[in-house]
Amino acid sequence: MLMQLTLSGASQGAIYALVALSLTVVYRSTTVVNFGHGDLVMSGAFVAYVLVVGLGLAFLPAAVIAVVAMFGLGVCFSRGLIRPIRGGPHIGFALMSIALGYTLRGIARTVWGREVLPMPRVFDIEPIFLGDVVLTGDALFTIATVAVLLGLFFAMLTFTDIGKMVQAVYQSERGARLVGINVSRFHDLSWGTGAALGAVGGILIAPVSFLHPDLGASFLIKGFAAMTLGGFGSLGGAVLGGVVLGLAEQYAGAYIDTALIDITAYLLIILVLLVRPRGLFGRKAVVKV
Amino acid sequence: MPDTLLTIRDLHVAYGPKPILRGAGFDVRRGECLTLLGANGSGKSTSMNAICGFVRPSAGSVSLEGTELAGRPAHAIFAQGVAQVSQARDLFPDLTVEDNLRLGAMRRGGRESGETLAHVYARFPRLAERRAQAARTLSGGEQQMVAIGRAMMSRPRLLLLDEPSGGLSPQFCEEIARIIDQLKADGVTLLMVEQNLNLAFRAADRFIVLRDGRVVDGGDVAAMAGDHDAIVRNIYL
Repeated sequence: MLMQLTLSGASQGAIYALVALSLTVVYRSTTVVNFGHGDLVMSGAFVAYVLVVGLGLAFLPAAVIAVVAMFGLGVCFSRGLIRPIRGGPHIGFALMSIALGYTLRGIARTVWGREVLPMPRVFDIEPIFLGDVVLTGDALFTIATVAVLLGLFFAMLTFTDIGKMVQAVYQSERGARLVGINVSRFHDLSWGTGAALGAVGGILIAPVSFLHPDLGASFLIKGFAAMTLGGFGSLGGAVLGGVVLGLAEQYAGAYIDTALIDITAYLLIILVLLVRPRGLFGRKAVVKV
Repeated sequence: MPDTLLTIRDLHVAYGPKPILRGAGFDVRRGECLTLLGANGSGKSTSMNAICGFVRPSAGSVSLEGTELAGRPAHAIFAQGVAQVSQARDLFPDLTVEDNLRLGAMRRGGRESGETLAHVYARFPRLAERRAQAARTLSGGEQQMVAIGRAMMSRPRLLLLDEPSGGLSPQFCEEIARIIDQLKADGVTLLMVEQNLNLAFRAADRFIVLRDGRVVDGGDVAAMAGDHDAIVRNIYL
């Protein structure tokens, strides 16, 4: 049973990891916590749904188009709504992101109401039995997709010139300007990347779950919990936090009470903030007085 | 007539309602080291930031060989060949010395960056020894070398040095003076803000004095040799 729970937790945690990473990408580059991020996850899933169910596209091209569309939406949001308020109070960014999220949710509700919609399964293959452990095609697809994406993301960050520039902006925005990096454009691209990565999470969850306009709310809080556990601003921490949260939900639900699955994320946030506020990989804030 | 690289005319900069530069104007000649002198709040660092695009002038002109820079974003001004070594250095603390240096050439000076890197290491052998170390592990003097080296990597036409001796030991100030001599020998044009007047007079060819955002004095350092007290009086009194 432990192995089965671990597999399910890893599959769920992979999606949380992606959501937390996408939140962190925006947070690290702009210091904005995107409270509308869950609705970007939902929107990515709905765009893919429309393309697959409405237009009859195959899952893969539909997923690619949805991710590109969400990247574009993220860039446009930054360019059109965040840049003009830069220099204003920081809470303005948070409120703008909430406004975006509720607008997207409202559009989805207008079109689909509050009904739940089934997305066709992608890998409707026979489960594989390894002793007592059942491997489903969806779980394998989710874990493999996220593993490849994360591998590419961190390899880009570590080994390429673009990755060095990204790290440079993260570490010193003024320093980045001093070496000629267009930081405003970098912020736009970060919003786009965050939206695209979040959309991947939504698209992966769509075939194994039901779609509904409020889908994003739960992902937002899972993403925050994973970020809190990993340490705010830590990209690797966000990923690890997501996986640990996925596992913790499964273990708590199976060994203690199924009701705990829904509140594990909240309990984790409370626990980490009390015991280790900087999370697993966050740096200790040092305030000079 | 001296060959002018940078021309500043009637430059006005304000932070909110508070004016800092009120019609400052001066020239920087090709190949020289010009130092800006003045008391705190006189507009020295603001002049540097206005030239680099970190602050937007409300009026006036910053012209680099006829190309207007005033009001353009920092990355566009950097692309024209204006690099700054800032007072805070603004290094990338978790990246290695070599990554910090290479980043200086990523947006400008790309093709010859290998050659330029070898040149920087030849200038600063200590950086070559520490090339794989994270920048945050270096001493203040070494970090200043990285900051200057990073700016050199872009092969700038104009290099701005904002308080290069800030927080460094007297021995290292002399090293900074030697570095400036070497940069001038390489043909780099320098504009420097420096509170350490010994270093300023030792390294600069010309000086100007800013007071309340305007240029109130200036001249050749050599011509003022032995009368530095007069300049100091002009700065502070």
